Amino acid sequence: MKTILAVDDSATMREMVAFVLESAGYRVIEAEDGAQGLDRANANSCDLVITDQNMPNMDGLTLVRSLREMRDYKSVPILLLTTESSDNMKAQGKAAGATGWLVKPFDPATLLQVVQKVLR
Amino acid sequence: MTAKRIQGDNKMKPQQSRGPQDAQAADLLVTVASTLNERLGVTFVELARSQSLLKEASDEMLIAFRGAADRLVAAQKIDSADRPEKPEYTVVLDHLYRAVQHLQSHDLVSQLIEAQKHRVQKMRDKLTEALSLAGPADARAMLDCIVAGIAQIDQDVHAPRAETMQSGSVDLF
Repeated sequence: MKTILAVDDSATMREMVAFVLESAGYRVIEAEDGAQGLDRANANSCDLVITDQNMPNMDGLTLVRSLREMRDYKSVPILLLTTESSDNMKAQGKAAGATGWLVKPFDPATLLQVVQKVLR
Repeated sequence: MTAKRIQGDNKMKPQQSRGPQDAQAADLLVTVASTLNERLGVTFVELARSQSLLKEASDEMLIAFRGAADRLVAAQKIDSADRPEKPEYTVVLDHLYRAVQHLQSHDLVSQLIEAQKHRVQKMRDKLTEALSLAGPADARAMLDCIVAGIAQIDQDVHAPRAETMQSGSVDLF
């Protein structure tokens, strides 16, 4: 069973992401900000990270950069799932090492398609 | 116009010999800034109440959603051995997926409200700062402070751009 780390400061969003992924058979670990996400990523072996951008303590782009510095997460797919939709932010995400950028609100079927694609 | 008049008068007259018109303009500025600050205070409280009401409703909807989702997963597990197809569960899951998309409105609207609260609070801080300078001799400084507040109002504001609850874009790099 693939393990996915879902990082978002909104409990509602974490709940929605977790429900969709678990209904498709994935194991989900949750974190409520980038700093906690980094801790959870350290403590678990995750196959995919899905993170929000604007969060307290550590934002999504900083989390992506921090994960890319870790040997175990150099090639693990990381998706940004955020309300930010500017080309400038997407370019920053790409430069930081993110695998993809999804703008909220997300469609569950689309999220599952993207997850399946990046986990292949 | 008030700002130009005060600026013009500053050039023409020394600070000590201001006329009654300058004092009147400064008084008017204090009144406007005080009233605006007070109304922004009310706006801030109402935005916070909107956020609180939205959270209360969303929390309740989330509990109901969780209850339905948990029951579905449990029922699926019990029935899976007998009927691997489970078409009725797929239908229910589709309904839950639709709910997932629209339950995200709490997050989006809450972020929008947060952005407005941030703007209102920043303007209130600047008005409070401007009012602390109040006095005929400092009318220009008060105006500069308020203008600076308006200029900085969008700094550090992260308002979602979504216009509808239709799903957002996907970019794979």
